[in-house]
Amino acid sequence: MIKFINVSKKYDKGIIALSNINFEIESGEFVFIVGPSGAGKSTLIKLLLKEEEPTSGTIIVNKKDITKMKRKEIPYLRRSMGVVFQDFRLLPNKTVFENVAFAMEVVGAHPKEIRRKVPMVLSLVGLSDKADQYPQQLSGGEQQRVALARAIVNEPSILIADEPTGNLDPDTSWEIVKLMAEINKRGTTVVMATHAKDIVDAMKKRVIALEKGNIVRDEARGVYGYAL
Amino acid sequence: MDMLFRNFRYFIKEGFSNLARNRLMTVASVTSVMAALVILGMFLLIILNVNHMAYQVESQLELKAFLKDDLSGEQIQRIGEEIKGIDGVSSVVFESKEQALEKFKKQLGEKSYLLEGLEKDNPLPQSYIVKVKDANLIKDIADEIKGINGVDKVSYGQDVVEKLLGIIRIIRIVGLAIISILFVISIVIISNTIKLGVFARRREINIMKYIGATDWFIRWPFLIEGIVLGLLGALLSVGVLALMYGYTLDYVNSRLIVFNLLPLSDVIKDMALYFALLGSLIGAIGSGLSIKRFLNV
Ligand SMILES: Nc1ncnc2c1ncn2[C@@H]1O[C@H](COP(=O)(O)OP(=O)(O)O)[C@@H](O)[C@H]1O
Ligand SMILES: [Mg+2]
Repeated sequence: MIKFINVSKKYDKGIIALSNINFEIESGEFVFIVGPSGAGKSTLIKLLLKEEEPTSGTIIVNKKDITKMKRKEIPYLRRSMGVVFQDFRLLPNKTVFENVAFAMEVVGAHPKEIRRKVPMVLSLVGLSDKADQYPQQLSGGEQQRVALARAIVNEPSILIADEPTGNLDPDTSWEIVKLMAEINKRGTTVVMATHAKDIVDAMKKRVIALEKGNIVRDEARGVYGYAL
Repeated sequence: MDMLFRNFRYFIKEGFSNLARNRLMTVASVTSVMAALVILGMFLLIILNVNHMAYQVESQLELKAFLKDDLSGEQIQRIGEEIKGIDGVSSVVFESKEQALEKFKKQLGEKSYLLEGLEKDNPLPQSYIVKVKDANLIKDIADEIKGINGVDKVSYGQDVVEKLLGIIRIIRIVGLAIISILFVISIVIISNTIKLGVFARRREINIMKYIGATDWFIRWPFLIEGIVLGLLGALLSVGVLALMYGYTLDYVNSRLIVFNLLPLSDVIKDMALYFALLGSLIGAIGSGLSIKRFLNV
């Protein structure tokens, strides 16, 4: 499903964010990317989203070499992946419903389909009663759930999250991660970059640990393994 | 098809909501574009009229090849054939000594008595009146005719024609240069307005990119915004130009006799069409330029 082959990323001024990374993620897996700040987690995710280009190496997503992908194809790559960020990235002038619907409008979904689908995902993330509220009227946890709803409404095969709990308190963080586990159970591959030790340790999922751009550990039922 | 239509409704809604959101900027840039296009239009009108004048000059242009007196009818005929054979000559008409005198008399009108008695010893020369297809060729043709045996002199008001053609050429070049500059200025004005809108919505654009929006999906609302700005500016400027040109016509046509300016109705219909196209083009280029940078996410 996702395969990194000898992937390196060097930024300007010679900063090496990733050096010779190799791993493979199967369909349906739940994978944590862990590591201290600056380890290269976000860079790895940016490469997946084709927001950055690797300096060398090959990245395969859904059997396609995305490093050889044309600019025109990038939107379609991104439609196969739902993304969630630490800062939620919701549109402030749109309601919860409209924020989720927007993701469907962008891909040209039929209005009937939008009216059917949006309430479904909102109920999945437990926000049915907040559909008409604006983001700033919601708590951080609720905003992140809206972002999750938006990420999955087009039924992507991969859900990608970069520190989705970074701005949330522990209880709320748990709710988000449980939701992601639920989404994973329904068949979506999940890749989550985080340094939330408690969550990683408790979930007992695959852990890929990065340090200074290198994979230092890749365990099937791993723990975080760092003293924060 | 259905999807395309649905998207288009979204694009237009978004485009106009951008305009409404930045109302002050919208008014400011429409006004600026209008001003630029009014000046551009003035030069366009000048060029159109100069072209019209040049056409009138060219169609009135003729040169006269005066013949020596002691030629036989056959020789005269041969000279006529030779002139007709020169490239760029459109017509050749013979004028006998008698015809020349008649013409002169007519020109003098009531003072024609001055010419009485000249019939017996007519001093006016016989000539060929030659019309040319292109005023720029007139000098070469005159030189060539001068070389024909039996031709005494050639005249065509050299100084006036050459000066006039020179002036016309300069007006065309300067006019086109100014029009190009104003075209670019209009693009910059619109581009800056759109840039503000794009900047205000850069978060939204960024999010759209992550959701998988195509570049065109993001671009269209801004293109429509730019096209509407350009179109509004263009149509308003056509209105202003029509008023200004109307006054100019009244003023000039009562004073100038040699040339007449193009009538308003001839000019304004074409102008409205071209300006609508020009305005849309300016708007499209302006917004296309300003959004380019923000699409690279
Ligand atoms: N756009 C960039 N330009 C230059 N250096 C960058 C850029 N983005 C990240 N880096 C550097 O690359 C390294 C990895 O960063 P990042 O992938 O953000 O790590 P993490 O997400 O694990 O904290 C860091 O040293 C960071 O400073
Ligand atoms: Mg990071």
